[in-house]
Amino acid sequence: MRIFSVSHKTAFVVDHCPYMAEPSRQLIECDMLTKSRSQGVIPLAPVSKCLWTCAIECSMEYCRIVYDVYPTKKLVNYIVSDSEVHILNSWKQEDQNTQQLMTALAAVGPPNPRQDPECCSVLHGLVAAVESLCKITEYQHESRTTLMDTADKVANRGRIICLTNAKSDTHVRMLEDCVLETIQEQNKRAAGSDRLMPIQQCELVLVHIYPQGDETLVSDRQKKELSSVLSSEVHSVRAGRYLACKLNVLVQQHFDLASTTITNIPMKEEQHANTSANYDVELLHHRDAHMEFIKSGDLHMAGSTSRDSGLKETVTLKWCTPRTNSVELHYCTGAYRISPVDVNSRPSSCLTNFLLNGRSVLLEQPRKSGSKVISHMLSSHGGEIFLHVLNSTRSTLEDPPSISEGCGGRVTDYRITDFGEFMRENRLTPFPESMVDAACRTPVERAKSQLERHTRYWPMIISQTTIFNMQAVVPLANLIVKDTLTDEDVLTCQKTVYNLVDMERKSDPLPISTVGSRGKGPKRDEQYRIMWNELETLVKAHVGTSERHQRVLDCISACRSKPPEEEERKKRGRKREDKEDKTEKNGKDTEEKGWTTDSERLKGVMEREKDEQSECEIIKDSPDSPEPLNKKPRLDTEEQQPPEKSKGPVSLLTLWTNRITQANSRKHQEFAGRLSSVNNKAELYQHLKEENGMDVHENGKATR
Amino acid sequence: MPTVVLMDSSLSMTRPVSVEGSEEFQRKNLAVHGLTMLFEHMATNYRLEFTSLVTFSSLWELMVPFTRDYNTLQEALNNLEDYDKTCLEAALQGVSNIVQQEWGTSCPCQVVLVTDGALGIGRGSLRHSLQTVKQRVEDKKFPLPFPFPSKLYVMCIANAEEVVLVTDGALGIGRGSLRHSLQTVKQRVEDKKFPLPFPFPSKLYVMCIANAEELIDQAYSPFHAVLRCGNLTSDVQVFPRPEPVTIDEEVDPMPRTVQTDLEIVGFIEIGDISSPPVLSRHLVLPIAVNKEGDEIGTGATDDTEEETPTNQMAGKSPNFCVLLHGSLKVEGMVALVQLGPDWFGMLYSQADSKKKSNLMMSLFEPGSEPLPWLGRISQLGPASDAAENPYGEDDSKSPFPIQPKNKRSYAQNVTVWIKASGLQTDVQKILRNARKLPEKTQTFYKELNRLRKAALAFGFWELLKSVAELLERECTLLPDSAHPDAAFQLSHAAQQLKLASSGDSKYAAYEHNITPMLTDFSGGGGADRI
Repeated sequence: MRIFSVSHKTAFVVDHCPYMAEPSRQLIECDMLTKSRSQGVIPLAPVSKCLWTCAIECSMEYCRIVYDVYPTKKLVNYIVSDSEVHILNSWKQEDQNTQQLMTALAAVGPPNPRQDPECCSVLHGLVAAVESLCKITEYQHESRTTLMDTADKVANRGRIICLTNAKSDTHVRMLEDCVLETIQEQNKRAAGSDRLMPIQQCELVLVHIYPQGDETLVSDRQKKELSSVLSSEVHSVRAGRYLACKLNVLVQQHFDLASTTITNIPMKEEQHANTSANYDVELLHHRDAHMEFIKSGDLHMAGSTSRDSGLKETVTLKWCTPRTNSVELHYCTGAYRISPVDVNSRPSSCLTNFLLNGRSVLLEQPRKSGSKVISHMLSSHGGEIFLHVLNSTRSTLEDPPSISEGCGGRVTDYRITDFGEFMRENRLTPFPESMVDAACRTPVERAKSQLERHTRYWPMIISQTTIFNMQAVVPLANLIVKDTLTDEDVLTCQKTVYNLVDMERKSDPLPISTVGSRGKGPKRDEQYRIMWNELETLVKAHVGTSERHQRVLDCISACRSKPPEEEERKKRGRKREDKEDKTEKNGKDTEEKGWTTDSERLKGVMEREKDEQSECEIIKDSPDSPEPLNKKPRLDTEEQQPPEKSKGPVSLLTLWTNRITQANSRKHQEFAGRLSSVNNKAELYQHLKEENGMDVHENGKATR
Repeated sequence: MPTVVLMDSSLSMTRPVSVEGSEEFQRKNLAVHGLTMLFEHMATNYRLEFTSLVTFSSLWELMVPFTRDYNTLQEALNNLEDYDKTCLEAALQGVSNIVQQEWGTSCPCQVVLVTDGALGIGRGSLRHSLQTVKQRVEDKKFPLPFPFPSKLYVMCIANAEEVVLVTDGALGIGRGSLRHSLQTVKQRVEDKKFPLPFPFPSKLYVMCIANAEELIDQAYSPFHAVLRCGNLTSDVQVFPRPEPVTIDEEVDPMPRTVQTDLEIVGFIEIGDISSPPVLSRHLVLPIAVNKEGDEIGTGATDDTEEETPTNQMAGKSPNFCVLLHGSLKVEGMVALVQLGPDWFGMLYSQADSKKKSNLMMSLFEPGSEPLPWLGRISQLGPASDAAENPYGEDDSKSPFPIQPKNKRSYAQNVTVWIKASGLQTDVQKILRNARKLPEKTQTFYKELNRLRKAALAFGFWELLKSVAELLERECTLLPDSAHPDAAFQLSHAAQQLKLASSGDSKYAAYEHNITPMLTDFSGGGGADRI
């Protein structure tokens, strides 16, 4: 449906002239005596609604259905006319509810039968309705401002429903002419105004109401074009339930509604709690919910005639047990708001309360034979009930290739749980319209930028990462992705780093992947080097976010053990002439930033090891003092100080740790291999090298 | 989007096409050649498409029902026989039936009509159809537009001279040509010049296609996109191709297309998104893109595994789609994905009956608020930005669904007296409570005030008087054992109703409520004295 169709604006004009105070003569017995008390009591006389009451309650019912099915964009302007015009609400969305109209109607009260009929007329109301239709609604305004250059595409159409008691067909003609004239007048006026729009199309629906038992003075007339702008139809209806039926049919026509009757609803009887009877409830909703029936021509087959409203058709769907569970994602092709026809009947309120409590009901197409087809579902969302249309035909996507057969399908160590955690952290939540952050970003933009931050360094598989497999890193990893860090956050990150330093000192094992390398994988200190590198990569990715992020990186740089290359470079400083080529290579490795694949990294490691192996021979004459567990080779003091300086001040923790490590190392006998090692690396199978010369290097390469 | 190939097998298709310096072809041969190309293309690039083959002359026949087995289609195509004259209407009706039987009326379909542009002669010819189109009865309507959303492509087999006309957009020239005929039908349907075959016209696309390549480009080029979640990305094919969507032709006539950059904006629980209505569903299949410098081609393994087929390689290198799918499935969540400006969809894991699972994307209706229970999508932000975790510390809460500003009628205990029973029930409720005074004082006045408000709004003062009388009578019928307070309350209530029915603004104010009378018997004070 187009937004600005005729049903965008509905003006109700209700006649409030003295003759509307006439009784409708439909009698209602409100004194329903119970059997036990009836003896000796004369029942009260039945009451009768006046024409006004009938008109009001039927028009309110019309509004109730419209507001239920279209809470927005379908607007009603309610006008009451006697000697003057009472406009009860405006086109504003906040004025669109029945409570407000009821309050305003109570203030108007029933027509005064003693008022002078000569000065009262429904014409005042009709003129006001036309004026009102010219007024721009907030939706029209919004559309016009957003479209700008194509603003003329925003149409102004509307409908006037006039509930009155006309004198004759001539009287009706007079009313129509009046509306037509007013439209022409108002359109001229509107052309020159910003807040008004000329009416392009107007439907006038005149409903003549007369008391039961009277002969009608006005004849029904089908819709007729009175001009290119105005069409008019006349309905002559007896007050009471005939009027109610008429307006129910009209609201369905005007708002493209259709009716569904839910049948076989099991309900417990109040008196007999253990038995249950089956009830039917009729609902109204947009007719698109019946699209499949209408097109396939099944409408007549599926539908039966509604008992109450005569001409109207309803589609019958059967209540289906068991119920569906809410975490199931149905393939749903449409969801339409509903409004019960008989809103406060017991079966209706039972059904709606059941749904409002959060339960859903599947509905089945009644078929004479064959399998059962579930075609619809009733479900409530936030206090609104929707009729969901479920796809019941064959899917064109059947039998697709499984995801495990496609790209990346054979990788088995995805970080599924971690990504699940990531998704939970990036769940969305609604924010009030007014909430805009400093950079004027909408919440959804903030969500996107959060995803960007959180994925700057996010290895997809377990074997690609060390730090994300370590509990110890979690506090830092959670904090560093944040947009802003507090001093406390920085402290937590620093604590995490110190904790890692401590782990390294204790030589705790790391959950490093051995995939892609033969044997046990890299050695412990190498593992820590990889871990530190990865941690640095993670933090470096966020270093630009704020100065506090930078502080975390500084902390890591200060605390982490020096990569061996740096030590080597120091050493090589003396032997540059013979090792120039290798320094170059190592230099490249240290500068290497970002994200290298595991295998590449391992390759680099092995290469470095090779270098170190050859260095072993060169520095064989270094002091054979016991090596501390700390990765920094303690060659001698003069060599150690300068690199420390270049890295900034050493934390107290490091100094302390070093000292303790040194003390501890004296308390036990060192392994022979470690004693003869350099940089904590001892060459294995040295005798082979002596035997075969250089060949061993080729074989020793763990990777290709 | 399933395809029906509707192949003209009338005798006119055997007319020769003269191509200089080569052997003579029949139009049929060219048609078969073109369709072979189409089938080959689909078999490699679009193999999940269901296609069926229908041939027609004065009768029509379903040669191959909907299948993904393109060999079968090809085989049938190679064994076509020649029949009599062209009767398009019956054939289109046949297509309509076949599609509805298989897919219902909501599934969009493509129909490829392969013909030489001849209209046929006599009964059943298109000319005849169009002459009689206005005098049809309900169940013998012209089959266009189809009741299902459809695209009709007309592939015209013509010789070199005719091709000019074809690329010119014409199937033959002037009035009476097929193109003209189809366009006339389309035009009339759009202009509503003749009553529609069905009350809800589906979109009718008629398009003339010069050759198979053009058709492939138009309708069967795979839709490739990049799925993005922050810095994590994957190249994907979206199948079937998402079609352009028009929301409101009047205000926004430009059809919206899905952009090739699909950006995830965040995640939502399945229970919160709760079976939303969608325009269409699509498989999201990760693909390996063979670009230079692509990860697959380079790296540590290139020297040893050069012969390995790319797809096998691709299977082994991690892909974001697989990770996303796995986590969505395990967590029971969906990813909200942006398809274009103000257009969103969702990604989720979908398992079929054989427990094969897949990453699926559903498209919501374009617009800023496709699902009322989520609110405006642009207002959805990261939960971590909220002052208080909207999901609760133990995940016991949820910010969804969003509550609308006004309650619907069925959720607010409205008063409707259109049926006498509605009014009677409300009166009975008051009387029932009146007989249980003073225990039911609160409910009694609550019901009384509800009735009073409605009666005032409806201008139904007579009812107020009647109920007042009923209450007075109730007062006289009180048994001796009744609590003395009951009588006071009943006469108080009756008096208040009578005052309201006078219309006196002091007593008939809508917002005014009748409050229980303070008596010596009511409340704690009364109990003390006894």
